[in-house]
Amino acid sequence: MRHATKLAAIAAAAALSLAACGSSSTPSPGAGDTPAGTGGAALKVGMAYDVGGRGDQSFNDAAAAGLDKAKTELGVETKEASAVNGEAESARKERLQQLIDAGYTNIVAVGFAYAKSVGQVAKANPEVKFAIVDDASPDSAGPNVDQITFAEEQGSYLVGAAAALKTKSNHVGFIGGVQTDLIKKFEAGYVAGAKAVKPDIKIDVKYLTQPPDFSGFSSVDKGKAAAEGMYQGGADIIYAAAGGSGGGVFTAAKAAGKLAIGVDSDQAKTAAPDVRDVIMTSMIKKVDVGVYDFIKSVKDNTFKAGNRVFDLAAGGVDYSTTGGKIDDIKSKLDEYKAKIISGEIKVPTS
Amino acid sequence: MTTRLGVRRILMGAAAPLLAIVVAVVVTSLILLVAGDPVGAVWAQLFKVPLPRQIVAIINAGTVYYLSAIAVAIGFKMNLFNIGVDGQYRVASFAAALFAGQGWLPGWLNVIVALLVAMASGALWAGIAGLLRVTRGVSEVISTIMLNAIATFLVAFLLSKTAVKVVGSNATNTKPIPEGSRVPGISLDGLIATPSRVYGLIVLAVVVGFLYWFVLNKTRFGFDLRATGRSETAAVASGVNVKRMVFTSMLLSGAAAGLVGMPLLFGQDYVYGDTVQSGLGFAGIAIALLGRNNPIGIAFAALLFAFLDAQGNGLQITAGVSDRLVLVIQGVIVLSVVIAYEVVRRAGIRLEQRTVAAQLAEQARTPLEGARS
Amino acid sequence: MCVITSEPDPQRTSEDAAIDGGSMSRTEPVTTEGGSGTPVVVLRGITKRFPGVVANKDIALTVERGTVHAIVGENGAGKSTLMKILYGVQQPDEGTIVIEGKELTLRTPSDAIAAGIGMVFQHFQLADNFTVLENVVLGAEKLHGIGDRARRKISEISDAYGLGVRPDALVADLGVGARQRIEILKVLYRGARIIILDEPTAVLVPQEVDELFGNLRELKSEGLTVMFISHKLDEVLKVADAITVIRRGTTVAEVLPEGVTARDLAQLMVGSELPSPSTEESTVTDRPVLRIESTTVADPLGGRDVLTDIDLTIHAGEIVGIAGVEGNGQAELVEVIMGMREPASGQIVLGDIDTSDWHTREIREAGIGYIPEDRQRHALLLEAPLWENVILGHQTDPVNLTGPGNTLIDAAAAKRETQEIVDLYDVRTPSINVTSGSLSGGNQQKLIIGREMRRNPRVLVAAHPTRGVDVGAQAAIWDHIKAARRDGLGVLLISADLEELVGLSDTIRVILRGRLSGDFDPDTVTKEELGAAMTGAADVQPRSDEPDAVEPDAVARDALDAPSSHPSRREAPPASPTERSQP
Repeated sequence: MRHATKLAAIAAAAALSLAACGSSSTPSPGAGDTPAGTGGAALKVGMAYDVGGRGDQSFNDAAAAGLDKAKTELGVETKEASAVNGEAESARKERLQQLIDAGYTNIVAVGFAYAKSVGQVAKANPEVKFAIVDDASPDSAGPNVDQITFAEEQGSYLVGAAAALKTKSNHVGFIGGVQTDLIKKFEAGYVAGAKAVKPDIKIDVKYLTQPPDFSGFSSVDKGKAAAEGMYQGGADIIYAAAGGSGGGVFTAAKAAGKLAIGVDSDQAKTAAPDVRDVIMTSMIKKVDVGVYDFIKSVKDNTFKAGNRVFDLAAGGVDYSTTGGKIDDIKSKLDEYKAKIISGEIKVPTS
Repeated sequence: MTTRLGVRRILMGAAAPLLAIVVAVVVTSLILLVAGDPVGAVWAQLFKVPLPRQIVAIINAGTVYYLSAIAVAIGFKMNLFNIGVDGQYRVASFAAALFAGQGWLPGWLNVIVALLVAMASGALWAGIAGLLRVTRGVSEVISTIMLNAIATFLVAFLLSKTAVKVVGSNATNTKPIPEGSRVPGISLDGLIATPSRVYGLIVLAVVVGFLYWFVLNKTRFGFDLRATGRSETAAVASGVNVKRMVFTSMLLSGAAAGLVGMPLLFGQDYVYGDTVQSGLGFAGIAIALLGRNNPIGIAFAALLFAFLDAQGNGLQITAGVSDRLVLVIQGVIVLSVVIAYEVVRRAGIRLEQRTVAAQLAEQARTPLEGARS
Repeated sequence: MCVITSEPDPQRTSEDAAIDGGSMSRTEPVTTEGGSGTPVVVLRGITKRFPGVVANKDIALTVERGTVHAIVGENGAGKSTLMKILYGVQQPDEGTIVIEGKELTLRTPSDAIAAGIGMVFQHFQLADNFTVLENVVLGAEKLHGIGDRARRKISEISDAYGLGVRPDALVADLGVGARQRIEILKVLYRGARIIILDEPTAVLVPQEVDELFGNLRELKSEGLTVMFISHKLDEVLKVADAITVIRRGTTVAEVLPEGVTARDLAQLMVGSELPSPSTEESTVTDRPVLRIESTTVADPLGGRDVLTDIDLTIHAGEIVGIAGVEGNGQAELVEVIMGMREPASGQIVLGDIDTSDWHTREIREAGIGYIPEDRQRHALLLEAPLWENVILGHQTDPVNLTGPGNTLIDAAAAKRETQEIVDLYDVRTPSINVTSGSLSGGNQQKLIIGREMRRNPRVLVAAHPTRGVDVGAQAAIWDHIKAARRDGLGVLLISADLEELVGLSDTIRVILRGRLSGDFDPDTVTKEELGAAMTGAADVQPRSDEPDAVEPDAVARDALDAPSSHPSRREAPPASPTERSQP
């Protein structure tokens, strides 16, 4: 055991650093707040976030925005909890079950990782209403499950076109958080959009982590390092489809004097104030709308189980214009948008 | 004499982890106080009596942790630091899932052969590090860290090539294992009321734990292995082929690591995919240290970690504190337990030396006093 | 307290002088003129307890200024505890320390240094890649700076005490004797007036010992006081002005060297009879059991060959002793025989089978017993119980095994075996379940000897089998080796103790820079001849016809003063211990 001391130090350091990795997601201060002035029994909504949780300025924050809107407009009572990178399937199930145990009988699960858990917990709790974001598989399907999915490739196509129209070096980049099928949809749309504008454009593609390591969605440092490399390599616009890691991409863009494209939320509004000016546009995935609609449907007793697809036509994905950096090409982008909606352009998903 | 030393050893063995847990509680409370979090609510959540379904979850998580810690402990006994259990179990889980998913063999035969595939793949992956160590002198710490990273990319790549696409799903999974080859859970009806089932492959953990104890303590091979771990120089002089020993124990450690994901695969997920549980290998290091490489001690340590994990899950909901606090607690426990063990170990050695010296002095003094007077 | 002042029996003294091979002290007058009669160190009633053990009990010691005062005792008698107390490393539970008339409490070594006490440890604490000057000033930079002032001071001290230290020499280039003088100089540089030397001769060859003693006489003539810890009694008698004997933690006698023999001292130390290493009539046969034939071992780092062209034959019933200064290839010789090192050329033949490419385990199975030089690192699992240590090295011996294909350890059999070894070899332990690390060095070694001998080996490779072992255990170990030799065992004995080599061996070879000399006859060779061959300083002709086996070139080391007289080795075996019992 003599050597064990040295080993233990490494192990403990590893354990602590694992803990530190996760510490970027602080528990939401607003969790558990009851909105003032609501009479009677308020609707209780429990929200289970994906890795990164509230505060990632991106995917989870988009869901949180929907919840916040429901809280102010519909007077619902909320409780939030978020996932841990690499956690066990049972931990996800238990999280949903604990929210139900605590009386939050309308559950929003953010992210496809919850698919199986939602399916099983929904079966065990038929009186509870569920919404799951990013999954429409049979795993999560049920008479009490609202499956919310998005046509991310369509929105990504538009920002890809925007990047190609704006690039001066004819060289753009894509940084995906984790190399999952979902993020590959973003990549496919982005590449298709860019090539539609400039067939000879050079596109760098990099993913921050490989599953089952989902830290690529919450590692600002990894995002920054990858973006620095791409900017040095000549790319002048990078699409950050990387959740919370996008913050690092923006920091790198700022330092390099280049541009970036945000994802999920309108990041020119949600990102750290000092880097907002590098965000040319964002691919908006209206998770907030999906979440809000679910809560409203429950409140109005119009809940419908099954898959709701949020595409360009439904206004579920879009590009943002905050900051005015793409005002000059807006008409061109809207042309593409119309063609996608009309079906003239078929955007690939992989 | 023997029994007195024996009882004392057991007491000292138990004292250290208990002390460490107390220290961890104190340190964590201080952290919470500084952060302005509700200390009382946190401990109330962590130490409340778990619900029946949570008890099952704790046993299940503990089973997986146990296998991982045994894999690490095999290395530790040889003074090998197999950090690569994490990569080894993922490679092995993928290989076994891929194999079992094909359904080439019927029912249980499919399970058994898949387990062998897992052990072989884990051993192969660990064997690379073993080979590098004995032929090139590369530290297994470095090589297994590298192999973890390579495993991640390799498995992600192969998974993308072999994944079965489900309409509407964003998850990437291997082909599911046929119904007939899924290992049914063990019901705890009569003990606790819950529909949850304990992994059928908990049996695997028990068997591995027994073999670990038996091979190390009862066989010639185990003697050589322990001798090498205690003193490589003495082992060499005693005729142990240390290189072969290093390689063999890396293979064994890797084979055990290969089994880590099996209860999950056959008892819960039925596929290997991108949402599979990760980081089990690192937890195993901490648990092996906490359990002092002892098969029973590791069982307690694995259950403690699983307990903290399960109880910590509700922290965000009931106490509004991030459940990563549990990682802090686990980290502090490991740190303090290692320090406590070292202190207790040194104290134990000194104590025994003194006891022996005192007893010999007593034996010798009596006639001497007589002679001198 | 029963302080015995030994009055030697004149009759016994003369007899013992003849018997004791190392009693050179009798031929030289002991210098006493340095003693001035003022006590400089007075210890009274010093007692130090550790839980369960009393390390020092009621120690009384008076050291006069300007003398060399020896403190002798067996290993574990409490010498080092006492010196640690005097050097401030440990505090006594009871008793007083008076230094130069002042009663002091020494809490740390700094207190001791401030009181003028300096200590030279057995293991040198010098940085090889530093010069003498740098080593001396390290940690004492405030005294005389680190430049010319320090250099002058060092030369001054060196000249005053005849230490012959050159301040700008690189320590790496210096021999053991010179390094020891640097250690002494370091202590003097820090203002020590009382110098404690812990086993200073353990690392020296005989000629270097003489030089050291010359230095010590120099020191005391300048009014300094030397406390000299040793268990080499001849040396003590040769250099000390007064001798204090410690036994079982307490001072049992204070004697003057003029009145006693080494044997008297030894008896005071152990409280009983003293053994000596002596072979009886030759049991050497003409049947070779181990032959090493023109074997060369290359340096793994690419330097000079560590063993060159070694030829060595051990016959059944023969003990071949290897003398040499440490680091001249002894360890490599052992390792190549044991299969722990590959020879570059040549072969090693056990019986009539070439074992050069065998693995250690096969070699041990074939019947070579092995007593390694460093028992704690190479022969024992310190944290394992005794019975597991008895299995060690014999893991494949069916005696220890059971089960299908002998794959399981038979703990019960091993424990029985261990109990027998403990009984037969007098291993002092309360139980066979205690860890081997909790035994004293001598008992550890007896366990190892027992373990190896119980397997009836054909050949025994024994490196320093009695190093660090107390006198009682030493005798027992010698007896066991001799008994096995009578039964036809061939022994390769490597030892730094010339006494042991001369006493036990049938043939002595000297190893120098990886080469073996020809045979020396232990019955006729003198220590000085061996010492010269060991340093390569003198062109000694061994009796065999291999004249160039010893490299005659290297007079690099300090010159040797050939001693004027040396005793010839006894011809007859000594009387048995019972005949020499105390009056």
